[in-house]
Amino acid sequence: MSEIDPCDWCEEVLQPYLDRDLDATDVQKVKHHLAECSWCEKRFTFESDFRRLVRQAVIEPMEPELKAKLAALRLEL
Amino acid sequence: MSETSSEEARRIAQGARDRVHFEEEALALADQVYRVARGVSRSKEEAEDLMQETYARAFRSWASFTPGTNLRAWLLRILTNLNIDRGRRQQRTPDQQPLEEGDYFLYNRLEATSGETDEERILDRLSQDHVAEALAAVPHDFRDVLVLVDIGEFTYAEAAQILDIPIGTVMSRLHRGRRILKQQLAELALEAK
Repeated sequence: MSEIDPCDWCEEVLQPYLDRDLDATDVQKVKHHLAECSWCEKRFTFESDFRRLVRQAVIEPMEPELKAKLAALRLEL
Repeated sequence: MSETSSEEARRIAQGARDRVHFEEEALALADQVYRVARGVSRSKEEAEDLMQETYARAFRSWASFTPGTNLRAWLLRILTNLNIDRGRRQQRTPDQQPLEEGDYFLYNRLEATSGETDEERILDRLSQDHVAEALAAVPHDFRDVLVLVDIGEFTYAEAAQILDIPIGTVMSRLHRGRRILKQQLAELALEAK
């Protein structure tokens, strides 16, 4: 069986790594690889900033009127 | 007052206190729930309707909530189910399914078309409007998972519980959803150039 290319492996586990849903052994392997591979490190930085952008893009505070409407839905005592 | 009726009165009073407590906790989470509502809806109006339906149902069925469990997840489960029931979902046929590219597709495309090598500058080419528009174009099954994990910051296990799907399905939908999102964004960003 041929050895998996470390950068291919890194791409495969990078999303769970960013989601903090990767096991501890693999987390260490990813960190180790990112420290020595600038090609993957660049992509890691981009992916991580990209997530922040997605999170910020749809954050739109709720209108105060809606909050009042929700509170009005409470059952009467 | 007899023993039993004062017992009964105490029980009713306690029930009312529990309910008020529940309602207050649910309302305190409204901003976080709204974030997900907005992410899975196509417009602000739709998100607001969905919020009201969700809270009306939550207040009515408060007794089925188990105290000490995750209230935010419980509310979002109501919300995602209502969203499915209402058929507010974009119609999707297989040929409308966007083509799927690799995880690094967006980075590679932006890098290739700008000659820019600084990651932060590359990201500057994407506006928040682009992201919102691209997200709206992601098919609903994928978008629900994407919104819960990336915006609601739920774990895979929590998202699985909310949507009532296996954890493996959460992971595969998330994986495909992100790729589709990137593909949409690459198109928008390159058009805008």
